[in-house]
Amino acid sequence: MRLAQVRTPRNLLAAVILALALIVPFLVGQNLYLLTVLVLMLIFIIYSSAWNFLTFSGQGSLGHAAFLGLGGYAASLAAVRLGLPPLLTLVLGGLFSAFIGILIGITCVRLREWFLAMVTFGFAVIIQTLVVSQLAPVTGGWDGFAVPKIVPTSIPGYLVLEYYVVLLLAVLVLVLFYFLLRSRIGLALAAIRENETEARAAGINPVPFKLFAFGLSAFVSGIAGGLEIFHFGYITPEIFGIDLSFWPIIYSITGGLGTLAGPVIGTIVVTLLWDGLNVLGLTYGRFIIIGILLVLIIIFLPRGLVSLPGEIEKRWKRKGE
Amino acid sequence: MDGGIAVLGQVAFWGLYSGCIYILLATGLNLIFGVMKVVNFAHGEFLMLGTYITFFFFVLSGFNPYLLLFLSIPILIGAGIIVERLCFRPILGTGKLNEIFISLGLIYIFQNGVAMVFTDEWRSMKSPFADLTIAVGPIQLPLDYIIIVAVTAIILVCLSVFLNRTTTGKAIRASSQNRKGAMLMGINVERMDMLTFGIGAGLAGAAGTLWAVSGQVFNPYMGSVPAIKGFAIIILGGLGSIPGAIIGGLAIGMVENFTAFFLGGSWKDAISFILLIVVLLVKPTGLFGEEGE
Repeated sequence: MRLAQVRTPRNLLAAVILALALIVPFLVGQNLYLLTVLVLMLIFIIYSSAWNFLTFSGQGSLGHAAFLGLGGYAASLAAVRLGLPPLLTLVLGGLFSAFIGILIGITCVRLREWFLAMVTFGFAVIIQTLVVSQLAPVTGGWDGFAVPKIVPTSIPGYLVLEYYVVLLLAVLVLVLFYFLLRSRIGLALAAIRENETEARAAGINPVPFKLFAFGLSAFVSGIAGGLEIFHFGYITPEIFGIDLSFWPIIYSITGGLGTLAGPVIGTIVVTLLWDGLNVLGLTYGRFIIIGILLVLIIIFLPRGLVSLPGEIEKRWKRKGE
Repeated sequence: MDGGIAVLGQVAFWGLYSGCIYILLATGLNLIFGVMKVVNFAHGEFLMLGTYITFFFFVLSGFNPYLLLFLSIPILIGAGIIVERLCFRPILGTGKLNEIFISLGLIYIFQNGVAMVFTDEWRSMKSPFADLTIAVGPIQLPLDYIIIVAVTAIILVCLSVFLNRTTTGKAIRASSQNRKGAMLMGINVERMDMLTFGIGAGLAGAAGTLWAVSGQVFNPYMGSVPAIKGFAIIILGGLGSIPGAIIGGLAIGMVENFTAFFLGGSWKDAISFILLIVVLLVKPTGLFGEEGE
């Protein structure tokens, strides 16, 4: 019984993807471009999973780059000014991001959908403005500053090591979300998402749960931000950009909103498409193709690529009848 | 002291002028929201298209750029109708988040479509009246800014005559007040959706022409922030209320310019969001909003 439960096609697929992820560095060997693409892909899997976790609580954000950037700045400042090892400052960055995230969350819990989207977008703009104006003496303004790498470049094969570090973190984040969503917390979040009034009637106070979702999402996004910065070895205020707020949304929608696998699959598919089109030389064209893909998916496949097998099966059955 | 007042008067006039752009954007958004209850974050892309249409035909023909309003408005009405039909109609009623997400897709398509043709460098154009100023007391007012304020006023008067006096305008208002009731009265609400979306886009196109004429710089990515400020304005001024959009637009224009004057230019964008957040903290439904949509 228990074994049958474990051996579903879904879990098998997850195991295959994980196994592939583990051996991929041996397949690409010393191709630094591909390895960089893979490392960034993993970082964005963490980031878009964090964004997606927020939607489990019925909230959304158009300004998640604020948390990416806050984590990145806090982590890199701690690493540069205090000389702490990057892996430790990652957690500090995440905690700082979560702290601000909960503060923002407090202003947002009463808002619904697109008011919330506006406010989160606004916070990203405000934080970026602070970083380049009043805080410029600390942050270096628009120029930014150099930061150490996660794995020092002096170690041979540092990029492969970095890949495994990021992979480990990505798996940890996904496992954490998996167990959280199966716990009572996950049930409460689902109840709040479906109908807040009914959730209240059932004795669930939505506020702490929404704040928890906001804080955890900001924490994980902050870690992703730190990883991105330590990967590039440089930080600028462009980390707060609108683009970086939009990417996790695009990834999550393409893959499937409100599913754990959605952001993972979406990130993989869109990143491969993105870099593939880049290789073909479509600098602006690839944005247009991604935009059209997004519009088509929202209209024709509102539950994302994850639901594609189910939809095809449905079509088949209907034809058979 | 006299000089101080003159400077403040100048800043207030800049506020009035930049308020005009916001008023046109926010009025369009408000019309669309009123009738369709749709949130189109890609509204700023219509503004951007308006500036590029003006720029392109100005360079091509050398006409007086104000005449190009008669070109940018109809083109964008057409574009708005197409966008509504193809993208927003299929997802109408499937949830607010879907509307936001589909506008993200549209933003990518429009921005980079234009960037492919015109590249993404910052451009600006020079109006034929650029050097003329009119002295009002101690203040020197550029003639262009005065024309822009006047043009905005004319557009708003035309819009209100259209909405209040014509049958189609009344039908739009009816669909905005009660969609089902309008349907029962034999109004084709889907056609009203298309028309309203077109008018909203047309107003944004007019704003785009005025933006270009005023000599402000523009590039394909310029639209997002003004559009989101447009939303901030309609949240402040009240959903579906056009006088609210006008007052809110003027207020944001003024506040922005005074903030830029006193705190430095980098705070110009942030201040309207600070204002929005403060208002929503006090009143989560917006200043004049009745229901939390």
